[in-house]
Amino acid sequence: MFIAGILSWWYGPGWRERVLKMRESLASTMDYFSVGLLLKTLFSPFRQISAGKVNGPLSIQMRAFFDRLISRLIGAMIRITIMIVGLVTIFLFAVIGTVGVILWAFIPLLPLVGVTLWLIGWMPWTS
Amino acid sequence: MDQLVFDYSGHRAAKARIRQSLSGIWERLLPVVAILLLLSAGGLLYIGAAIGWLVAGIAIVPLIIKLWYTHELKELPIGKDARSIDDLLAGDILGQLPKKPTPKDIANAVGRVPGGQFFGARFGIGAGFLQNIASEDASQTINVWQEAMLIKEQTGLSEISGSVLAVALVRVFPNYEGLLAHLHLDDEDLTKGIHWQNHIHDLVLKHSKPKRTGGIARDWSFGYIPLLTRFGQNISEQIARSGLISVELEAHKEALDQLIGTFGTAGRQNIALVGPAGVGKTTIIHAFAERLLDATMKIPEDLKFRQVFILDASSLLSAAPGRGELENLIMQVLSEAYNAKNIIICLDNAQLFFEEGVGSVDLSNVLLPILEAGRLRMILTMDEQRYLQIGQRNPALVNALNRISIGPANKEETLAVMQDQLIMTEFQQKVTFMYQALQEAYRLSERYVHDLAMPGRAIKLMESAARYNENGLVTANSVQKAIEQTLDIKVGVASGEDEREKLLNLEELIHKRMINQTRAVGVVSDALRRARAGVRNQNRPIGTFLFLGPTGVGKTELAKALADVYFGGEGRMIRLDLNEYVRSEDVTRLIADGADDPTSLTAQAMKQPFSVVLLDEIEKAHPNVLTTLLQLLDEGILRDIKNREISFRDTIVIATSNAGADRIREYIERGYQLEQFEKQFVDELISSNQFRPEFLNRFDEIVTFRPLSKEELVQVIDLILGGINKTLALQKVSVSVAQDAKLFLVDQGYDPRLGARPMRRVVQRAVENTVAKQMLSGSVQPGSVIEITLEQVQQILGSEQQANQIAAETNPPLPPASTPTAS
Repeated sequence: MFIAGILSWWYGPGWRERVLKMRESLASTMDYFSVGLLLKTLFSPFRQISAGKVNGPLSIQMRAFFDRLISRLIGAMIRITIMIVGLVTIFLFAVIGTVGVILWAFIPLLPLVGVTLWLIGWMPWTS
Repeated sequence: MDQLVFDYSGHRAAKARIRQSLSGIWERLLPVVAILLLLSAGGLLYIGAAIGWLVAGIAIVPLIIKLWYTHELKELPIGKDARSIDDLLAGDILGQLPKKPTPKDIANAVGRVPGGQFFGARFGIGAGFLQNIASEDASQTINVWQEAMLIKEQTGLSEISGSVLAVALVRVFPNYEGLLAHLHLDDEDLTKGIHWQNHIHDLVLKHSKPKRTGGIARDWSFGYIPLLTRFGQNISEQIARSGLISVELEAHKEALDQLIGTFGTAGRQNIALVGPAGVGKTTIIHAFAERLLDATMKIPEDLKFRQVFILDASSLLSAAPGRGELENLIMQVLSEAYNAKNIIICLDNAQLFFEEGVGSVDLSNVLLPILEAGRLRMILTMDEQRYLQIGQRNPALVNALNRISIGPANKEETLAVMQDQLIMTEFQQKVTFMYQALQEAYRLSERYVHDLAMPGRAIKLMESAARYNENGLVTANSVQKAIEQTLDIKVGVASGEDEREKLLNLEELIHKRMINQTRAVGVVSDALRRARAGVRNQNRPIGTFLFLGPTGVGKTELAKALADVYFGGEGRMIRLDLNEYVRSEDVTRLIADGADDPTSLTAQAMKQPFSVVLLDEIEKAHPNVLTTLLQLLDEGILRDIKNREISFRDTIVIATSNAGADRIREYIERGYQLEQFEKQFVDELISSNQFRPEFLNRFDEIVTFRPLSKEELVQVIDLILGGINKTLALQKVSVSVAQDAKLFLVDQGYDPRLGARPMRRVVQRAVENTVAKQMLSGSVQPGSVIEITLEQVQQILGSEQQANQIAAETNPPLPPASTPTAS
C-alpha cells in the first residue's frame, strides 16, 4: 500500500500539481514585472512628468508638447527595458519549470539508477 | 455500499494511518535524513567509493515521502465516490480510529485534532468533556456517523472534520440540551462554531496564497506624491504590506459595490459614507482599498491599483497655522492627488474639514468646488448628525455628495466581525476568547455602551474584557467583570458568599434602619433576589414600585435603605423631586444631555446604571413628564435628548406619592387593616383622576404604607438613639433614654399630618442638648453611659407647645430630615 500509494500520487495528482505550480510561478513572475501593465502604458508619460495640459501661446504649448514627448519616450525606454528583463526571466522560469515537470517522472527511478551505478561501479572521474 | 459503514481497510483509511505515523517527529526528520544521505553520498563518490551511488539513490526516498506527505497526506482529499464514512472523514481523524471505533475512540481522536481543540478552547467542549459523555458501546457509533452526516449536509462542508464530530458527539448524548444549557449554549451555537472554525481555516488558506498586487512597475504611470505622503496615511500600502483580516458583511458588501459602481462610472467622483460611530465606515474603506489592490478582482480597469489616502487633519493644521496657509496647502495636496491620477482621497471624520473648532477647520469654500466638479475621487465619512448639521449650514455641499448610508450591524454580523477582530486581539493580548464571551460582549454592550454603534460597541467591550482573563481564557465572566469594573454595576448572577448572604437576609438588613412596612420591604427584596438569581425579565427594570401613604411613614427611607444596604451607599440613589417637573417643558430637563445638565435623569442613569431611582411626589409631575416615564417603567429604557437609548434595566424604580393620605388615615382610624382597603383605595385614586390607570398598571407593585403606631414610634426613637450613639462613640460615651422619656418624646415628636418626620429633630434637641451640657460641665468621663430621664427631657423641651413649634418648623416638602422611618 505504501509504495503503491506514493507512486499513484506521484504520477497522478502530484504531477498535475507540479504543472499547476509551474503555471502559478509564471503568473507570479509576470505580475512581479508588471508585464501586462507595462504593455498597456508603454507610451504614457513617466511618473506623469510634464503630463498636465498647458494653456498659453503656441510656443509654450509646443514646448510642453515636446516635454511630454520626451517624458513618454523616457517612459517607453524604461518600460521596454523592464519588459525585456521580465520576459527573459519568465522564459527562464518556463524552461526550468518544464524541465522540472519532465524530470518529475524520472525521480522515483533514481534509487534504481543508484543501485545500478553502484553495481557496475561506474565512477566518471576515474574511468 | 452504505455510507454509514466504516471501512477500516479502505485505501483512504490506510493512507490516513500512514499520515498519522508520519506526522510529528518523522515529518521533520525526513528532509534531515535526505540531506545527510546526500552529503554522505557526495563524500563517498568523492573518495571514489561506488557505494555512494546507492546512498544517493536511497536519499531520494525520504524526499519523495516528504513530498507525498506534504502535498497529499497532510490534507487528505475526500474520497471521490464517498461510498463509506471513511471517504468523508478528515484525514487527521481517520488515521487515529481503530478497526471498530466506539464513540469514545472518536472522542479521543477529536480531542487531538485542531477542530476538536477549537471546540475545547472556544466552547468548553474539550477532550475530557467529550470522553465523559461518549459511550464505549461500538453499536452507538453509527448514531455519531449519522449525526455527523446530517451536520455536514446542513453546513455544506465537504468533509467530516473534528469540529463536526465534536458537535455530533454532543448531539447524540441523550440529555444534550441540558448539557448545553450548563455551558450557556444552545444548539444553534454549535453550528455557528463549525462555521467559525471553517472560516478561520479559509482565512489561513487565503493568506497563504500569493497575492497579485501589480508588481514593480505598477505606479510608473502615476505621479509622485511627496505632499500626500507627508500629510496622509496610505492605507493601500499598509494593506499590501500586512494584509487585511475581514469578513464580508452583507451590509458592507452593498456599500462596497456602491463605492466601486460610483467610482467606476462617469459622474461626480465622490461618496459620503454616513453612519453612526462604530458602524464600520473606516473598515469599509479598508476593504475597498484591498479590493483595488487585488489584480484578480473583477473591478473596472480604471480603478485597479488606485491608492486610498486618509488625509490627516491635525498634521495639516499644524503645518499651516497662518491665515490662508491651510487653504493653500490643502489645494496643493489635492492638486498633487489629482495630477498623480491614481489617488482616492479619504476624509475620515469629514466634519473636521467643514466646521471651526479645536482640531478642525472649515474648508468648505475650498472643498466645495472640488466636490462639485467631481473629478478628484474622494470619500468622506461622518455620522448622521454631523451630516445634517453640515447640510443645514451648507446645503450645496450635501447636494454635491453621493450619499451611502451605513446602518449598524445585526447580531449575526457583529459576532462575525468580532470573530475576525479577535484574531489580532488574541495575538496582541496573548489570550483566547470563548464563544460565550463574544455573546456576552454583544449582550452587555448593547445595554451599557452608548457612544458607539454595533459592531464597534461590542468590539470595544470585547477588547476591554481581555484584561480580565482567567488563565489566558476570556470567558463570559471576564466580560461581566469588565463591564462591572468599568461602570460599577452588577450584571452577573450572585456568586460570592457575602452577596448571597446579603440577598437572603435583605429584609433583616433593611429593618435595621426601617420599622415595620413589612410588605414594602418584602416586595423590593424579592425583586432584587429575582434579579441577582438571573430569573427576572432582562428587558425591564429590576423592579418598579409605587409607594403610597402619608408623609413620614418610611417611603423615602426604604429607598435610601435599599441603596445603602445593597447598591453600595445612599449615593447610589438617583432622586428626582417631581414637584420640580410641573410644566410640560420640564420633559426636556428630565432627558437633557449630561454635558449640558449633569442632574438630568438620563445623565445620572448613564453615570450610575446600577442604582435606586426615586421619583418623589410623582402625583405632582406634569402629565407629559409621566408619559415620558412610561417607557422607562415598561421597557427600562429612556431616550435622551440626543436620542441615545439609556438603560434603566439595572435600577429599582420607586415612585412615591402622598395622594390620598387622608383617606388612608381615615381607613386606619375606622379600624381597617391595610389589606382590607388597599385595592379599593387604588380604585379611588383612579376614579378621582389623581392617577391614570395606564400609569398605575406600569408598576410591578403598588404598596400602601400605613401610619406608624406608638409602639413602632418608640422603635423609631431607638433607631435614632442608635445613630446618636454611633456619633458619640468617638467620645467614648453612650446615651440611654428611660422608657417613660421615650414615650414622652413620641407624644411630642409625632404629628398625625407629618408622621414621624419631626421626630428626629425632637429627639436630637432633647438628647443631644442634654449630652452636650453634661459633657461641657465635665460630669461625663470616657466610658460612661449618660442616662436621660423623663424630667431632663421635659426640662429641655419645656412644654408641649415648644415641641409643636419644633414640629411645625419641619415642612413636608423640604429635603428629608432623615428619620429611620420618616421621609
